[in-house]
Amino acid sequence: MTNYDSVDIFTDVGVATRPDPFIEHLRSKGPATWLRPDVVAVTDYATGLAIFRDEEHYSTVNCTFGPMELPFKVEGDDITDLIEAHRDQIPYGNLILNQDPPHHAKSKGVLMGIITPKRLKENEEFLVTLADRQIDEFFKDGKFEVITQYSQPFATLAIADLLGVPEEDRPTFKTLTGSLPGEIGGVAPEDVSSNPLAQIGIFFFKYIEDRRANPQKDVLTDLALQKYPDGTLPSTVDIVTAATFLFGAGQDTSVRLIAAMLRYLAEDQELQQRLRADYSLIPKFTEEVLRLEGTAKATFRLVKKKVKIGDIEVKPGTSVMLMIRAMNRDGKRFENPADLDIARRNSQEHVAFGRGIHACAGAPLARAEARVTLERLFDRTKNIRINEAKHGPANAREYNYWKNYLLRGITELHLEFDPA
Amino acid sequence: MVKITYIEANGDKQIVDATPGQSLMQAATRAAVPGILADCGGAAACGTCRIYVDDANYRAKMPPRSEMEDAMIEFHDDSEPHVRLACQIQVVEEFDGMVLRMPESQHS
Repeated sequence: MTNYDSVDIFTDVGVATRPDPFIEHLRSKGPATWLRPDVVAVTDYATGLAIFRDEEHYSTVNCTFGPMELPFKVEGDDITDLIEAHRDQIPYGNLILNQDPPHHAKSKGVLMGIITPKRLKENEEFLVTLADRQIDEFFKDGKFEVITQYSQPFATLAIADLLGVPEEDRPTFKTLTGSLPGEIGGVAPEDVSSNPLAQIGIFFFKYIEDRRANPQKDVLTDLALQKYPDGTLPSTVDIVTAATFLFGAGQDTSVRLIAAMLRYLAEDQELQQRLRADYSLIPKFTEEVLRLEGTAKATFRLVKKKVKIGDIEVKPGTSVMLMIRAMNRDGKRFENPADLDIARRNSQEHVAFGRGIHACAGAPLARAEARVTLERLFDRTKNIRINEAKHGPANAREYNYWKNYLLRGITELHLEFDPA
Repeated sequence: MVKITYIEANGDKQIVDATPGQSLMQAATRAAVPGILADCGGAAACGTCRIYVDDANYRAKMPPRSEMEDAMIEFHDDSEPHVRLACQIQVVEEFDGMVLRMPESQHS
């Protein structure tokens, strides 16, 4: 039996793979509680939501990994200027996600220039073709492993299409995936050199330079020539950064969401039949899976200015662990929180995509990927089931999850089906 | 204070004290109105703070929709005639007493 008072969430594999008992232990201590002298954990929905929306007291500079040794001495009640002065020395400090206002708005502007409503609509049409192509590859087998045979290639190619990557380069993009932040025993935050996104960046650098010299009628040209709201042209690097960021952020997240959805449906045949009979229930179901099994279990904030969280006085330089999974399972906000209930009235209030200025820009893409996947699989199959040879019988299933304190993801999901 | 009523699709009402200069989205999220999600924090980039302004008198006091707001509303296929993004409208004294409705789902 794990002693939850002494366990280290950042290294404990048991807590990483089976997070809920630990979450409930933390919740029993109040809306916010100390994890260690430099980290406060927030489990309460309302408390966390207010922090998501408070850019005045909190920075996201540490959100990729969490607590770290700061490259400066914390002094005074406000370290906003110190963070900015040392940002370049903080690993990933300049990623869009880790930037703070006012710089963040400019970077997010470039990102939103890529994920426009118009592009999303066009991309959605392509997703249907893409889903069918992936299904074709295993259809005759009557079984498949969801992540490697479907959702990984699907999610990668979905973003490649959104960004207008030429067909001939797309196979290379499929192979460029790497280590995840938050992995226990994974790549240390300091080691940026092994980042596979750098490879994707090289491709985009070439595309943007080329389209600026030789504009064509394509998405990459739109990307290359888009302007900041003030009418100035972003540097090539700014656009490359936004494009590669999208690849990093939009792959594993959607991949594991699709797997989580399919696991619920394969385990619950009655629910699967209800959705098959009425596709309009798919979005509600998606929100419930996002709430219960969203890929981001937690994210971080760094306290910039002295602040109170619940009853706790928190000093600048402290890390706040916003426990998204805990917030989404807060019984004060969601009745019978652990139940997947597609009739739940307020499922959409979950914070699986965060909230506030850093909320996930790719959320509409993820939702479209989820919906198209289920619609195409439902159209082409009769019943989707768990492959018991791989996961064991119904009363003794075995699923493995990432050993990761930030991200939740099933490592493999083997399914079977009959053709429709 | 400017009193604004937000009504959820199921009829639940919440009356909010808004401050001139805030957006209609900020007024709602500060008061934790459940139907206004405002995923993107007010950048007209997510379309999850949609409201329906049924009263023409109040509509006349609002600025027209920008191209960006149009695009985001179109993306959501929201067919209600008087739909707006709450984040794009600043509260003014003349909004006092206004009633706004919200969609059943902001993610449709």
